[in-house]
Amino acid sequence: MSHPSTTLTGAGTDIQIRGLAKAFKKFTAVDDLTFDVQPGRITGFLGPNGAGKTTTLRMLLGLVKPTAGEGLIGGKRYADLASPLNVVGAALEATNFHPGRSGRDHLRVLAATHKISDSRVDEMLELVGLPAAARKRAGGYSMGMRQRLGLAGALLGDPQVLILDEPANGLDPEGIRWLRGLLRSLAGEGKTILISSHLLSEVEQTVDDVVIIANGRLVRQGTIEELHGETTTLVRSADPRSMLRALDANGISGTAESSHGDGVVEAHTSDMASVGEAAHAGGVAVHELRALRTDLERLYFQLTESPENSDRNRENA
Amino acid sequence: MINLVRSEVLKYVSTRTAWGLTLGMFLTGIGFSALFGALFVYGNILEGVELADVAPPLLLARVVYTAAIQFGYLLALVIGVLCIGQEYRHSTVTGTFLATPKRSRVIGAKVVALALIAAVSGAVHVLGALIGGGVILSSAGLAIYPDAVELTKTLLLMLLVLALWTLIGLGVGVLIPNQVAALCLAIAVAWIVEPLAGFGLTFVSWGQDLARYFPSQVTAATLDVFTGANDAVRGALGGPAEPLGWITGAVVLLAYAAVMALIGLLLTRSRDIA
Repeated sequence: MSHPSTTLTGAGTDIQIRGLAKAFKKFTAVDDLTFDVQPGRITGFLGPNGAGKTTTLRMLLGLVKPTAGEGLIGGKRYADLASPLNVVGAALEATNFHPGRSGRDHLRVLAATHKISDSRVDEMLELVGLPAAARKRAGGYSMGMRQRLGLAGALLGDPQVLILDEPANGLDPEGIRWLRGLLRSLAGEGKTILISSHLLSEVEQTVDDVVIIANGRLVRQGTIEELHGETTTLVRSADPRSMLRALDANGISGTAESSHGDGVVEAHTSDMASVGEAAHAGGVAVHELRALRTDLERLYFQLTESPENSDRNRENA
Repeated sequence: MINLVRSEVLKYVSTRTAWGLTLGMFLTGIGFSALFGALFVYGNILEGVELADVAPPLLLARVVYTAAIQFGYLLALVIGVLCIGQEYRHSTVTGTFLATPKRSRVIGAKVVALALIAAVSGAVHVLGALIGGGVILSSAGLAIYPDAVELTKTLLLMLLVLALWTLIGLGVGVLIPNQVAALCLAIAVAWIVEPLAGFGLTFVSWGQDLARYFPSQVTAATLDVFTGANDAVRGALGGPAEPLGWITGAVVLLAYAAVMALIGLLLTRSRDIA
């Protein structure tokens, strides 16, 4: 797939990662990584723990110096943004708080750097559902509360770009649902949203695009629909061979797929009605008929654990 | 810049550590100037001679009010180290550098904020010293505020010294991001290494010249307590023999702070915040 490589059509701010690399003394954390993140969409940045997600985000945000390449936000390096909190909101880890400082004061400290008012601070605390706890010391916060506080901090400057590292970590199911709704509405406003996760299933229902890395390298990039691939149809009967003949007679190709269970045929079409009609015409009783989509979780593990993506740093050691 | 300074001041006052350190400044001021004041005034420091008989009232007041400064500047050093050390310790430095990616501006804001913080906590220390020392002086029937102009100058120099030590603390903290290591090293140098080295240097001919530039001796020089005192009194009260002038002293202390902060800044600019 191809994205425009320059800043943008219309409103919004994109993110461009260009040949980004980071080599530490003993291993390469990120290796020649290139991808784009589009405005108005939620992009999932996926990879197993240690794949280089956090290092990539920290390079993009000017916290870690790249060995090569650069990350650009709306065509600019982070360090060159005049008023960064008004452009990019980032929540990197749910632990970056002074335990003795209240959540509200933590936000006020950040807000002061950009002349953001206390009322905006309170508004954000309200939005993330922390107004009462925010006056207590952050050291006593649960993981979920820390996530919410981090998110409030990211939203302080009403930025166009939101970068969240593992935002669902520590949230309860209700919290995850709430986060999903919030991100969806923010993306609807045209904001650029990049969320990292080590679990595809965690963000599968949230994201529009995915960027999958393993061992610091890009292994797959595209929309979640593209990742799903073509939808096929599963049809089960007592006699799969007759079913294959019946499908063939109606011009539908199919294969027996015992991996899905006994008597299962995978018809290479998304048109379930025609599969049913073909079975009926061929006189084969249908026991089950449903759309068959790629199991994303399985695909994800295949991508991130395939031999060419296995840990080359360990190999070299 | 003013926004960054406000952020840094807010950062300082929003934890209990700040209030603890300010209270510490006050209590060391009261406690040690009362303690050392009592030793000077009532102790038998000069054989057979009453100190009050040989030392002018101004000198006595100066000696008593500055008696706690070693504890004061140690706390000032801690304030400076914590100002940056806490950021690394609790990873708040991530948020700080995200809000202000130009790291030298952050350090600059910390310098200004610390100067303000040092002025307040230094004033608290001086107030404590005035109370603790004043009680002792008045109990012995001595003048509490003998020469208003000269004594006020001494109190202002105390503020200056405390502010400079706060900046030295920042320099150490910027240079050594590990807060515990920075604190241990700073305190060890100020209280153990330096006095030992100073003592060792008394055995070599050029030692005295070098030792004059050690932080504690420079601090004593900057306070300018013993101007016009006779050598016997000066020696008895532990004053430096040939101190630098107070302006030179202040410049040397500032240089200590500046050199460390600049080296630290160079390291900070390229340091990965992981």
